[in-house]
Amino acid sequence: MRESLDTLRNEFLDRIGDGASEQEVERLRVEFLGRKGKLTLMFRGLKEVSPEERPGLGEALNDLRRFVEEKLESRLRELRQREKERSLKAETVDITLPGSRWERGRVHPLTLVMDEITDVFLAMGFEIARGPDIEDDYHNFEALNMPPDHPARDMQDTLFVSEARLLRTHTSPVQIRVMETRKPPLQVIAPGAVYRHDDDATHSPMFHQVEGFMVDSQIAFSDLKGVLTHFLRQIFRPETGVRFRPSFFPFTEPSAEIDIQCLLCDGKGMTQERQACRVCKGTGWLEILGAGMIDPEVFRFVGYDPDRVSGFAFGMGVERIAMLKYGIEDIRLFFQNDLRFLRQFA
Amino acid sequence: MNFTLSWLREFVDFKRSAQELAQTLTMAGLEVESLLALPSRQEKHEDWVMAVAVTPNRGDCLGILGLAREVAALTGGHVRLPPVLPHAKGSGIDRLVDVEILSPDLCPRYSARMVLGVHVAAAPDWMKTRLEACGIRSINNVVDVTNYVMLETGQPLHAFDADRLATKRIVVREAGAIEKLTTLDGVERELAPGDLLICDGATPIALAGVMGGSESEVQWDTHGVLLESAHFHPACVRRAAKRLAIHSEASHRFERGVDPEGTLYALDRAAFLLVEVAGAAPVEGVVDRYPRRAKPASIVLREKKVSALLGVDLPRRETERILKALGMKVRGRSKAAVRVVPPSYRRDLAREADLIEEVARLYGYEKIPSTLPLVRPAGGGLDRRLPRERKLRAFLLGEGLTEMINLPFTSAEMNQRFRGLWGGERRPVAILNPLAQDKAELRLSLIPGLLENLRTNLAHKARSFHGFDFAKVFALDARGAAAEKQQLAGLFYGPRERTGLRSKDGTPPTFLEVKGIIEGIFEVLGIGPEPACSKSDIGAFLHPANAAVVRLGDRDVGYLGEIHPDFCEASGLEPFVVFELDFEGLAEYAPRQLTARPLPRFPCVERDLAVVVDDAFPAERIVRWIKGLNHALIEDVEVFDQYRGSPIPEGKKSLAYTISYRADDRTLTDSEVNQLHQQLAARIGGLFGAQLRM
Repeated sequence: MRESLDTLRNEFLDRIGDGASEQEVERLRVEFLGRKGKLTLMFRGLKEVSPEERPGLGEALNDLRRFVEEKLESRLRELRQREKERSLKAETVDITLPGSRWERGRVHPLTLVMDEITDVFLAMGFEIARGPDIEDDYHNFEALNMPPDHPARDMQDTLFVSEARLLRTHTSPVQIRVMETRKPPLQVIAPGAVYRHDDDATHSPMFHQVEGFMVDSQIAFSDLKGVLTHFLRQIFRPETGVRFRPSFFPFTEPSAEIDIQCLLCDGKGMTQERQACRVCKGTGWLEILGAGMIDPEVFRFVGYDPDRVSGFAFGMGVERIAMLKYGIEDIRLFFQNDLRFLRQFA
Repeated sequence: MNFTLSWLREFVDFKRSAQELAQTLTMAGLEVESLLALPSRQEKHEDWVMAVAVTPNRGDCLGILGLAREVAALTGGHVRLPPVLPHAKGSGIDRLVDVEILSPDLCPRYSARMVLGVHVAAAPDWMKTRLEACGIRSINNVVDVTNYVMLETGQPLHAFDADRLATKRIVVREAGAIEKLTTLDGVERELAPGDLLICDGATPIALAGVMGGSESEVQWDTHGVLLESAHFHPACVRRAAKRLAIHSEASHRFERGVDPEGTLYALDRAAFLLVEVAGAAPVEGVVDRYPRRAKPASIVLREKKVSALLGVDLPRRETERILKALGMKVRGRSKAAVRVVPPSYRRDLAREADLIEEVARLYGYEKIPSTLPLVRPAGGGLDRRLPRERKLRAFLLGEGLTEMINLPFTSAEMNQRFRGLWGGERRPVAILNPLAQDKAELRLSLIPGLLENLRTNLAHKARSFHGFDFAKVFALDARGAAAEKQQLAGLFYGPRERTGLRSKDGTPPTFLEVKGIIEGIFEVLGIGPEPACSKSDIGAFLHPANAAVVRLGDRDVGYLGEIHPDFCEASGLEPFVVFELDFEGLAEYAPRQLTARPLPRFPCVERDLAVVVDDAFPAERIVRWIKGLNHALIEDVEVFDQYRGSPIPEGKKSLAYTISYRADDRTLTDSEVNQLHQQLAARIGGLFGAQLRM
């Protein structure tokens, strides 16, 4: 009987060999362990064996049954694993189809640029101030050293809401409002909407400015150069060429107009095809900021002593900077709010 | 100011090329806007037209002479003056004309010369060419000479036909109440008190500094010419020119300041040219009334102030060299300062700061170093608003809304329909000089702008449009005072879009979904009190039922709702929802102070409660009532379902609530919770006439 145990074991091992499928494993289970299975029958045959041999043989039979069961079980696991892997591989997601998510909203490009400008100045220790869009003549003009009948008022064609009130033509009145209520040191920027009686491809009746100023006991023109050069290189490129040239604003003295090297032709004034650059009109420079040392007259209006304090002020057009940064040629695109335009900005 | 370089060379020598000169002038504050080569027969004599943008403070540069002075100062050259014909001594002119100034403050100086026997004809070609290159149309030799001299000197001249003057008495006076003058352009102008007139006796013949009258203009048969070279008050000229909308070469210059000392030179130069090009015979003598001679400014320039303001130490020698190059006279020196008298043509130089600018300008801005100032804490405090604005935007972007920026102008009709959140007594702000009649008011609400954006995008075949606008609205109160506030509005048209394969089951956001976004805004802004929706009349543009006011405490801070179906039908639009919130009002609520709670130690038991109520019963009432109990074991309550239809009878609905019970010191037993829940259910049934569904 011992020999037939070994034969059975070998037969089982032969049968469970590589090719076996799940059904085959099941058939093997029935054939060996079923009610009429070969092992079951041998268990029954134990009765025929002498009582001395029975315990040893019983033990051997039990070992064989455990062995068969474990083998069947592990074979089955193996087959199922293989089947799972095969079916997983057979799944057919087209991984080249587009991804899917909810469409995000977009922030307006002017807000993007406004935030960038604001962040550079916040990092330099400036704070934010705000003022009304409907201003009075005093804050918009007079206290900025533009008395009635001053020709500089021509530079800013005004929209009026009454005889005495107007839509601010620049953010500079915020400068006056802050200085009226506070004492130096001050380093402030005032972002906001401004309005002019003007409407074409490069002028909008509403546009945005960021005004900034710094007042303390010893602020010099060289500081204006340093702060604004740093700002421009943050907003444009670190190697951007910057030039300061004399200009005129009633509320600053000395005054400066600040240009950066043309972003399109890199300041060459010419395209690679030797054509005059259309962005800088061949000059190689783009006007980007107006600035200057705050005029002593302005300090008198707000009750500061020009012999004790000095400061600089500057102003810039947000649309202009956005147009240069993104290569936008028509200012009206900002206010048409066409999603096809707005969605170009991340 | 346009001029040719050949003309400039008559006044000053310079070695630079046209491009180099343009660069020099630009970097000295005289921005060259264009430089155009003039066609020329000989290469050697090439000529250029240069256009310089002269800033309003530099009236002296509105003549070639002034520009030549700048070029000389910048390049170290010398200015030379072109030939003149000085008047012969004698009183010939006094017998022909008399001048009386009645308003000396507005006319500090009036000079005049006379020539006879002119042959009025076309000006010679060389003169015409130059005038035209500089943008001035040629009229005849006499008028051309006055313009030519104005371009040279910056001093506007006027030529009167002497024979057409009836009284031979020039009177300079202010206009009376009802006077008229037909100007050279043939337009009859109504004059106003304050206008300065040049009169022939009592009859106005010119609007001083602005434009001459047609009655006395030089014509083809003119023989005698009275040349006026005067100085008028800048503001007086500007007021008249502005009011009458005349912008002449003369008014442009007078507004910006003309050299009061230059009147006689201009007359002598004009006389020289009239003899040359019109065969004129000069009358001996000159009239020169100068009742208000301006005292030259005398300015102290402190060395320390120069270095402190510019941030560079300039040797005094350099400062003085610059001042002298600009024609200033040094009248005194001390250890720390110099006293300087600017030339009469630099009327913009009156203060120390003005001189410092001149020093910086000629020294060169590019040579001043760049420094970074020490930033001292200003004590202004951190900006509370910016972080909130940025959080708000980020939230809205995440909800799929795109930001719009709209112009604030709208029509009276739109303002009548969309009154926003302003109370009834507020009126729109009107623009006195609008760009167009449909842009004549400032918006009361942001909704019209968003509707316009919707239309724009639908016209471009957008499938849906979810946009917000975060900007100011404006109104006048009963007393006419203007108010403005920052507001937020949103519009949701069509289903929110997804990227990738198109799904078919998208639906446009509902009232409740938009209400959810508003709740999200309050959450993001950290506003303590919870917003409540209540029915109120907001405007006929909203759906009569699916619309609500958003209240915070006892204040209306916004509204939301479906646009009225009539409006949608009329515009061919599907139904959609909008909202508008008063950000300014919300900003007043300080962000809630956050304090973290520890996690609960004992489990929570939830029990549902379903009630059948009238259809109109607001679900929130039961939530509020339960919360109002402040029961120690009731942690939370929320409504989670609403149902209408079988088996619920008509006119009724079923509302389902979940109530969370928790004790913070033990685990609640089932029987304890059941008892509590049944009591609660019974009270709700009684209080609200609700039938319980168990």
